[in-house]
Amino acid sequence: MVRWQKKAVATGAALVLVAALGACSSSGGKQEEESSGGAAGNVADTPRMKVAFITHAAPGDTFWDLVRKGAEAAAAKDNVELQYSGAPEGADQANLVQTAIDQKVDGLAVTLAKPDAMQANVKKAADGGIPVVALNGGIEAWQAAGALGYFGQDERIAGQAAGAKLTELGAKKAVCVIQEQGHVGLEARCQGVKDKFPNVEKLYITGTDMPGSQTTMTSKLQQDKSIDYVVTLGAPFALAAVKSVKDAGSSAKVGTFDTNKDLIGAIKSGDVQWAVDQQPYLQGYLAVDSLWLYKTNGNTIGGGQPTLTGPAFIDKGNVAAVEKFAAGGTR
Amino acid sequence: MSTTTGFAEEATTSPTSPIVHLDDVGKSYGNVHALRGVTLAVRQGEITCVLGDNGAGKSTLIKIIAGLHEHTDGVLSVNGEERRFSSPRESLDSGIATVYQDLALAPLMSVWRNFFLGNEITKALGTMDATKMKRIAHEELTKMGISIPNLEQPVGMLSGGQRQCIAIARAIYFGAKVLILDEPTAALGVKQSGVVLKYIVKARDAGLGVVFITHNPHHAYLVGNHFVVLKLGRVSLDTHRADISLEQLTNEMAGGSELEALSHELRGVDPELVVERVEGNGQVAVESPLDKGAG
Amino acid sequence: MASTLTAPPTVDDRVSSRSLGARLLSRPEVGSLVGAVVVLVFFLIVAPPFRELATTGTILYQSALIGVMAVPVALLMIGGEFDLSAGVAVTTAGLTAGLFSYQFSTNVWVGVAVSLVVMICIGAFNGWLLMRTGLPSFLVTLGTFFILQGLNLGVTRVLSGTVSSNSISDMDGFSSAQAVFASEFKLGPLNVKILVVWWIVFVALGTWVLLKTKVGNWIFAVGGDAAAARAVGVPVKRVKIGLFITVGVFAWFSGMHLLFNQAVVQSGEGVGKEFIYIIAAVVGGCLLTGGYGSVVGSAIGALIFGMTQLGVVYAGWNADWFKAFLGVMLLLATIVNLAVKRRADLR
Repeated sequence: MVRWQKKAVATGAALVLVAALGACSSSGGKQEEESSGGAAGNVADTPRMKVAFITHAAPGDTFWDLVRKGAEAAAAKDNVELQYSGAPEGADQANLVQTAIDQKVDGLAVTLAKPDAMQANVKKAADGGIPVVALNGGIEAWQAAGALGYFGQDERIAGQAAGAKLTELGAKKAVCVIQEQGHVGLEARCQGVKDKFPNVEKLYITGTDMPGSQTTMTSKLQQDKSIDYVVTLGAPFALAAVKSVKDAGSSAKVGTFDTNKDLIGAIKSGDVQWAVDQQPYLQGYLAVDSLWLYKTNGNTIGGGQPTLTGPAFIDKGNVAAVEKFAAGGTR
Repeated sequence: MSTTTGFAEEATTSPTSPIVHLDDVGKSYGNVHALRGVTLAVRQGEITCVLGDNGAGKSTLIKIIAGLHEHTDGVLSVNGEERRFSSPRESLDSGIATVYQDLALAPLMSVWRNFFLGNEITKALGTMDATKMKRIAHEELTKMGISIPNLEQPVGMLSGGQRQCIAIARAIYFGAKVLILDEPTAALGVKQSGVVLKYIVKARDAGLGVVFITHNPHHAYLVGNHFVVLKLGRVSLDTHRADISLEQLTNEMAGGSELEALSHELRGVDPELVVERVEGNGQVAVESPLDKGAG
Repeated sequence: MASTLTAPPTVDDRVSSRSLGARLLSRPEVGSLVGAVVVLVFFLIVAPPFRELATTGTILYQSALIGVMAVPVALLMIGGEFDLSAGVAVTTAGLTAGLFSYQFSTNVWVGVAVSLVVMICIGAFNGWLLMRTGLPSFLVTLGTFFILQGLNLGVTRVLSGTVSSNSISDMDGFSSAQAVFASEFKLGPLNVKILVVWWIVFVALGTWVLLKTKVGNWIFAVGGDAAAARAVGVPVKRVKIGLFITVGVFAWFSGMHLLFNQAVVQSGEGVGKEFIYIIAAVVGGCLLTGGYGSVVGSAIGALIFGMTQLGVVYAGWNADWFKAFLGVMLLLATIVNLAVKRRADLR
C-alpha cells in the first residue's frame, strides 16, 4: 500500500514539474498585474486609536472586500488600528459588538442590516461613550441606536432608481434575482424595483452555489420567454446571469446592483448593461474617517442626516473612468 | 439428533504428522495471561475438539492460529516450520481457514459474492468472472449437500445453519488444510446443529484437519477424535476418543471436581420447595445451604 | 432448513425460477426510479416548459452538477463512510487551480495538474486519518470540512486580496481546458453541456467497478461488515483510503468545471452541497449504514433533485415557497422509494 501511494505521489509530482518547466502563460496572470499606487500618503500624527468594524457580511462576498479596503485605506491614513469582523447572523453580530465594548475600543463602525438584533448592544456602546457610526444597512435605525452618522444608500431608493431605469429603457418584463432568501436589504431592493417598474418577478437562488444559480436563472428564462431584463443583486450573479441568458437562448439583458473588477469588464464588453453602484469603498472609508474626525476634531459627517453613497449608475458611458480603479480592486 | 450419531465412529485416526502444532504456546496482555502452556496438534483427517467454559481461553487460542493476535510464548509451527502470523492473510496463505462465530460473511451481499470474497476470480482489468463464480459456488454448495435456490439472495436472509455451511464450504474450496470452527453450533437449534455437524464430518472426510471449538461436550463427542479441555487459560485435559466416555468428558467440561463440590452443596436443597413467604422489602427469604457455603 | 437436509444433492431447478421482473425489483435503485417517474409526470402536468425538449438540456445539466459528485459519494457510502468535506473540496480544487495558474503565471493546465495532486492528497489524508484514529468518518471529515472552508477563504484573501480567485480567462490553455471541463454542444434542439456527457461516463464507470470488478465486491464488503472482510483477506484500509481518494479526484473534476465555467471561483462556495450529494445517494437507494446501494441510483437521485429544483421554477410558482416545495418533493420521492423497496423485499 505504501509503495502504491508513493508511486502515485511521485507520478503526480513529476507531472507537475514537467508541466511547470515548459508551461508559462504568455498572457494574463500575476505577471500582468500592475502595482496600483493606492492611498499610501502620509500617516496622521494623531494618537493611535482602535476602531472595531463589524459587518453582517457572509464569508466570501466580493462586495465586502471593497468596504474593507476602504476602511483599511482610511485606517492607514488616520493611524487607526482596525479590527475587522463579520457575522451574518444578527445575534452573532450583536455579540461581536459586545466584545468590542469589552475591549474598550475608541470607535465602532457597524452595519445595521438586522436592526432589531443590534439595537440594544449598539445603544449600550454609544451610551458608554464609544463613538458609533453606521454604514451600509439601517438607514431607519441608526439614529435610534445612537450612531453619529450613517453612510450608505437607501436600498429601497436604490431599487427605485433601478426600476426607473428599466422603465426608461423600455423593458417589458423583468426578473429580480435574490441570492439570499429572507435578507431584508435585498428584498427592499426588489421592492424598490417593483415600485417604479411593476412587471417584475422575484427569483430566489442559492448564493453559495454558482452553477446551480446559473441553471435556476436559465430555467426561469426558459419558462417565461417574455422576460427581457434580468436584474441581479450582486456582481458575481450578474456574470452567471449572462451565461444563463446564453444557455436559455434568450435575448434578455442583464443589469445589476453592486460591482467588482470582473463586472466592470462585463459592462465594458456589453455583456452587462449597467450596475447600480453604492460605492462600498466609500462607505468603509467614510465610516473610519468620520470616527477619526470625531475623535480628533469633534466633527460629524452628514450633520445628523444620512450620507448617501449611492445610487449611482455605471454603464458603458462612464465605465472607462471607473475601470482603472476597478483593476486596483477599489471600485 | 439421532441422524447425526455415529459420525465419529466412521472416523479413522490417521497417524500422519500434525499440520499445525502448538508447543507450550502462551499469550499475555500486559500482566494478564490469557493463555498459558498450550500444546496442541492438528492432524489431517482428524477432528480436534477444543472445549472450555466462557473465558477459558478458547477465543484467544483461535485468534493466535488465525493470525489476529501474535502469541507471546512458545512455538507455533505449520508443516513443521515455525511461524508467527501478523495478519489473517498470512494464516490463510498457510492453508488455515477460520470460520468465526460471526462467520465473516457480509449480510447484505449475495451468496456467490460472499463465497468468493477476498478470492475473486478475475479476467482482464480486475473484472470478475461472475458466471464462473456463480457456477462454482453452486457446485461447491451442492457438493456439501447445501441447497440455496437463489445465489443472488443476500446472505443475511438465510438461516444460521445455511450461513455456517457457506462459510465452511468456502473454506474447503479455497484449499484450506486446516479448518478452525469457532462455536459453529452455539447459536443454532438442535436440527440445524445436526446439519452443521454433518458438514464438519464432510470437511474431515475431504482430508482437512478440523479444530472444532465448542462448549457443548455432546456435540464434541459426536464428531471428535481428540479432545482438549481448556480451563483458565491452561489445558486441563488432553485425550483421545478411545480413552474417554461422554460422561467423563461432560464431567470434565462442566468443571470436574468443582461440579462435585457444587452438587454436594446443593444436596440439601429441595428442588420441589416453593417459597411463599415474602418479607416487607419484597425479597424472598429462603434458607439454603448455599448461603453457608458461600459465606 | 429441513428442506435442505432432504434435498437431493443434484442440480437444483429452483435456481432459475426468479423472473427477470423480480430480479429487477430487487435492485436498490428501482424505488428511486419510480420516484423519478412520479416527479417527472408531476412536473410534466403542472409545468408546461417541462415538456419542451430545449429545457431537457438545462435539467440534465443541473442534475449533472449534483450527479458527478454523487458517484464517488455513493461509492463511499456503500463502503460504509461519509465525507462531509466533499462540498467545499470542490471549491478548494477550483481555487487551487485558479490561484496557482494566476500567481505563477503558468499555463492553466499546470494549475489543473497541481489541483489534482492536492485533491488526491486531501482524499488520502481523510482516509488515512480515519483508518489511523478509528474515529467515525462523520467527525473526521467534519474537521476537514471546516479546515478547507477556512483555507478557501483565508488563502484566497492572502493571495488575491479579494474573496474570489483572479480571472484566468485570458491565460494560455484556458480554451482547451474549457473545452474539456465546461464546454457545450448542440444535439438537435438540445443544448448539451459536456458535464452531462462526463456524468454519464462516470456513472457507467462507477457501476462497472461496483458490480463487475473485484474492487466493487470489496467495497460492498468493507461497508457491509469490515471485520468479516478483513477476516477473509480483503485489504480494508486500502479500499477505504482508495474511496476517499476517489472522492478527492471527483471533487477535482467538479472543481475544474466550476473554474472553467466562470474563469473565477468564489471562495465561499460549496458549503452545504455535501448534504445534497449524500441525499442524492440515499434517495438512489444507498443505505446510510453502508454495504448496500448503487451508482445508477445516485444518478437517479441527482435527477430527482435537479428536476424538482428547476421544476418549481418552470411551474412558475411563487418563489417564496421554493424550499418547502423542494423538501416535500424529496420526501415524497424517498417515501415512494422506500415503499417500492419494501414490496420488492417481500417477493
